[in-house]
Amino acid sequence: MPDLPTISVVSADDDGITFATPDDQADVLLDVRFDGRRIGSFWALRDTRSGPDGRTWRWPRTLAQVLDGRTTLSLAAHGADESLWSSDVRFGTSDTRLDVVDPRGNPLALDKDLRLVQLLGSRSPEQLAPLLDSMTEVVAALRRAGVEPFVAYGTLLGAVREGTFIGHDSDADLGYVSRLDHPVDVMLESFELQRRLTAEGYTVTRYSGAAMKVAVRESDGTVRGLDVFAGFLRAGRLHLMGEVETAWRPEWLWPLGEVELAGRRFPAPAEPERLLEAMYGGHWRVPDPAFKFETSQATRRRLGGWFRGNRFKRESVWVPHYGQPRARTRTEVGDVVRWAHAREPAGTTLVDAGCGTGADVVWAAEQGRTAYGFDYVPKAFGPSATRSTKLGLPATFLFGNLTELRSVAATTAALRTVRGPTVMTAVHVADATNATGRTNLLRMARTLLVGGGRLYLQVLVARDPAGRRTGLRPLDLDAFVAEAARHGGRPAPPDPDHDLPDPPAHLRRLVLQWT
Amino acid sequence: MDLNPRRVLAQRRTERDTERDTERRALERRLEALEADVQESRALNLRVAELTDVVMELLVPLADSDDPRVAAIVERYRLAISPDRRGGD
Repeated sequence: MPDLPTISVVSADDDGITFATPDDQADVLLDVRFDGRRIGSFWALRDTRSGPDGRTWRWPRTLAQVLDGRTTLSLAAHGADESLWSSDVRFGTSDTRLDVVDPRGNPLALDKDLRLVQLLGSRSPEQLAPLLDSMTEVVAALRRAGVEPFVAYGTLLGAVREGTFIGHDSDADLGYVSRLDHPVDVMLESFELQRRLTAEGYTVTRYSGAAMKVAVRESDGTVRGLDVFAGFLRAGRLHLMGEVETAWRPEWLWPLGEVELAGRRFPAPAEPERLLEAMYGGHWRVPDPAFKFETSQATRRRLGGWFRGNRFKRESVWVPHYGQPRARTRTEVGDVVRWAHAREPAGTTLVDAGCGTGADVVWAAEQGRTAYGFDYVPKAFGPSATRSTKLGLPATFLFGNLTELRSVAATTAALRTVRGPTVMTAVHVADATNATGRTNLLRMARTLLVGGGRLYLQVLVARDPAGRRTGLRPLDLDAFVAEAARHGGRPAPPDPDHDLPDPPAHLRRLVLQWT
Repeated sequence: MDLNPRRVLAQRRTERDTERDTERRALERRLEALEADVQESRALNLRVAELTDVVMELLVPLADSDDPRVAAIVERYRLAISPDRRGGD
């Protein structure tokens, strides 16, 4: 047994844990425990910042949000029973015992991506059964759709190393290696798989041209997403989304073998150890709950260049944003929709691009106007869609992703079937998306608005003095107006009867018109 | 003119180092540009796949329609890319 690391804690507060450690000490993996329960792990050197008082591990944002109450905080070498340090602390202002749990009372902890989730290790065999059922179901569905799936990444690691899930993992991963060998064909096959799975009734979220999430409703009613990663072999190398690129022989994969996972059999590569080494390096047999992929930049660039770029800031910014109750329940109606409503004839249909929670769409529908909203985070407009249906409002919500060409084509085609004059609004869309998204917004506007329709925009043109605005970057308005002109859109003449008061200096409102 | 061999050698070394530095910086700039170009062309894979999918799965089935407007659009497009403008080769 190696010597216990030397850690002397200087402070533990709402910001993080600061400790002193000798400079010559090798990096060590530490568990953070609240009342004896592991809540997360970090590497004492790699994951901390050096300051005047020592090294500080800042609470990850997801955990910081729930730190309110008293607990016995302790640090221990990973997996050790004995604590290196322990103290009673109070976070925030509450005097109650800090309980990091979900609304159903399930214990939560940090996974390797620093999300606060129910880790698989805290689930009983009965609680694991629905996940195993889902995996069996999706494996069968993928086979029916024509590929040969296997358990991948952390799930394969757990199966081979421990015969069950890794305790600090939070989800299950599947992969398949295509029999095709060109990135374009691999993506076309992945699109076809998505269609087949959707036709079978699954909800599929696309992450990239070669990865998607298949949602499965489990027996206890919770909806779980299983990640499915595509790979392919070309010129003696295996490329597997999202972290693997390695020299490879087909016989290491095919014919697929099997591994045992929590008492059930699942398909696996013929030589799973080889894939694990490619995924986790030579140390894959040693557990590391704070593992970070050390995928080479060349591999990231290659896989990213081929397959990524169709969900700009969705999972990184907007999904977590709409996961917050405050953002999700926002029903404030914007000035821009009121302005457009006042200016446009009653029979004109409204299309709100990037509608978010859909509050503007619902408002317009309540005024008697037929209104459509689309967004690439369907969860955001879910409650508005339900409410509109219940109240019989003329509001319709669609999935639409401006950075995914297929979605732009399908959404535009669906909206094009709406006959009669149309008006579009896009409030903080051009300043939230990227150049591809802006071009697609303008293409869509041209298709839907040709013949006199108008697009009402509000964008950020300078930093908001009140603070950073989630997901927005000031837009070069001149460049955007010039691009709009290339797509046939010109600034509409001002309408003195329906003018809005000027917005604050960091915002700009404009109306583009298509003749 | 300095004829001290040591100083002359040192001077030459400095010149050579400066030249190498300049060359290295130029190479680094070319490498960056090259990486950006490679990445740009890689991104075409996704674009080509998406376009192919839209055409084969959305546009072709849509064109399989009795709507005379669709027939007119298909005919106009076909004529526009046919060398003799009547549709034959």
